[in-house]
Amino acid sequence: MRGVLAVYQKELAGYFRSPIAYFVMAVFLLGTGYFFLYNVFLTGDATMTSTFQNMGLLLLLVTPLLSMRLFAAEYGGGTMELLMTLPLHPWQIVAGKYLGAFTILLAIAVGTLIDIVPLYLFGTPETMTIAAGYLGFLLLGMASLAIGQLASALTRNQIVAALLTGAVLLAFWFVGHLQSFQTSPMLRGLTAYLSFGLHFVDFIQGLVRTEAIAFYLVVAAIALTLNTGYLQWQR
Amino acid sequence: MCHVVVNPPAIVLESASKRYGSATVVHDLSFTVERGEIVGFLGPNGAGKTTTMRMIAGFTAATSGRVVVGGHDMAVDNVAAARSIGYLPERPPLYETLGVASFLRFVAKAKSIARGDIPGEIERVAAACRLEDVMRREIYKLSRGYRQRVGLAQALLGRPEVLLLDEPTAGLDPGQLHETREVIRAFGRDHAVLLSTHILAEATVLCRRVAIINRGRLLAIDSPTGLERAMEHTSRVALEVRAPAPGLAEVLAGVKGVRNVDIRPGGPGNVLAIDCRIDAEDGVEAAIARAVAGRFDLHRLERHHPTLENVFLHYVSDDGAPDDSA
Repeated sequence: MRGVLAVYQKELAGYFRSPIAYFVMAVFLLGTGYFFLYNVFLTGDATMTSTFQNMGLLLLLVTPLLSMRLFAAEYGGGTMELLMTLPLHPWQIVAGKYLGAFTILLAIAVGTLIDIVPLYLFGTPETMTIAAGYLGFLLLGMASLAIGQLASALTRNQIVAALLTGAVLLAFWFVGHLQSFQTSPMLRGLTAYLSFGLHFVDFIQGLVRTEAIAFYLVVAAIALTLNTGYLQWQR
Repeated sequence: MCHVVVNPPAIVLESASKRYGSATVVHDLSFTVERGEIVGFLGPNGAGKTTTMRMIAGFTAATSGRVVVGGHDMAVDNVAAARSIGYLPERPPLYETLGVASFLRFVAKAKSIARGDIPGEIERVAAACRLEDVMRREIYKLSRGYRQRVGLAQALLGRPEVLLLDEPTAGLDPGQLHETREVIRAFGRDHAVLLSTHILAEATVLCRRVAIINRGRLLAIDSPTGLERAMEHTSRVALEVRAPAPGLAEVLAGVKGVRNVDIRPGGPGNVLAIDCRIDAEDGVEAAIARAVAGRFDLHRLERHHPTLENVFLHYVSDDGAPDDSA
């Protein structure tokens, strides 16, 4: 566990000693703030539903920026050689990095809580629906970051890692739109099941389904396992 | 100092090979490094030094053969082996945006050094590598020499049983060079140190044994003086004789042990410079002196002993195929 903690702390220090974390947080909070103002004050709808929808899309944009450096920067900076020769199991490296990136995402989520304050001041929002939305947001973030971290391990180039992550996340987000084209019920079910977007919509409408929670967690677990295996295979 | 070796050697390579696709970078390498000795790893660029270092450090796995460090087989338990290794790669692996102290703290934690011992350990390696003045500075702001020494400090953390240094003195100025060599020498008294270098003088002053590799093959491993002695049959005698010297070549060729005579006009004055390649172990120069002194005007006679440099060039250039590794 100490190994994971060491990598985790190093990762966090890396985020905050470079402009990336600040930039990503600023972009995300500004974006969310804008959508929130638009959704609540222009449409007069005192819920977070539309804002969560926008946050999900913003997350697709922001995740590649957060995850692209995780391994690509280690290759580029020559520090992979240190990391892989310290007494650390590959899974400890993967877990430490992942937790570091997730902490940034958590900080972003906490930052958006400020938007809820006016909802409670001027209306009576459904707390459980908002909680479900945040749960969905964090789960979506967990799956996305794991995919981004895997992509970052596959290339030395941070830009390539970001583009690869963006492409995969977009595909997972919009795959649900293909379902109306499918003639076989099985493919319809599959495209719906694989969709990051459709599962997320359930959460922001206050519907917490075990199946959806499991889906995001399984995607994250698969990506992180592949990540660990790739590091081992690389030796 | 006397060391009784009861444990197996700290580093053991048994026919270790590394292939990338069809290219064999390291070929059937076998040698050992004991505790309490510094072994120099000598070879031209592209000889396979770095790949060998990486195999021992566990960064890459050997394609075939065995690498055992601190009693742990790299293929079976490289994490346990890593606990006994301090490794400074060719390019010091540093996190540019971290401060020196926080970088060292990260490495100390990753090496599972007990929490209470970490500040003391960092202080120790910082003092050994003369880093006290830059501890709070970000790494990207450091000069090349400091970066190299932060890399060394990182490797020394936790007093690992085995220290692997890939060109540890690259980029150091003469003062730093001396200090760094002292650090390595002191550490090598009771640890196993494998140090790659292409600076022959460094191997001569620091190392108890020197391994010469080229094109991924081990060509020789012995003490610096042992390697020189092995080369002595190809040593040379240089002499200067006043010209003209008719019949000199025949006289020299007649001396037992002389293999080859080369006579050229010498430098200033009416002098011939002669270079004899000799075979025999001892006394050849005396025989040459006796043969020449009576008949010719001998100005100077000097026996050239092979330096490690000559040994190195000998092994590297006699290595068969034309050099294509440049």
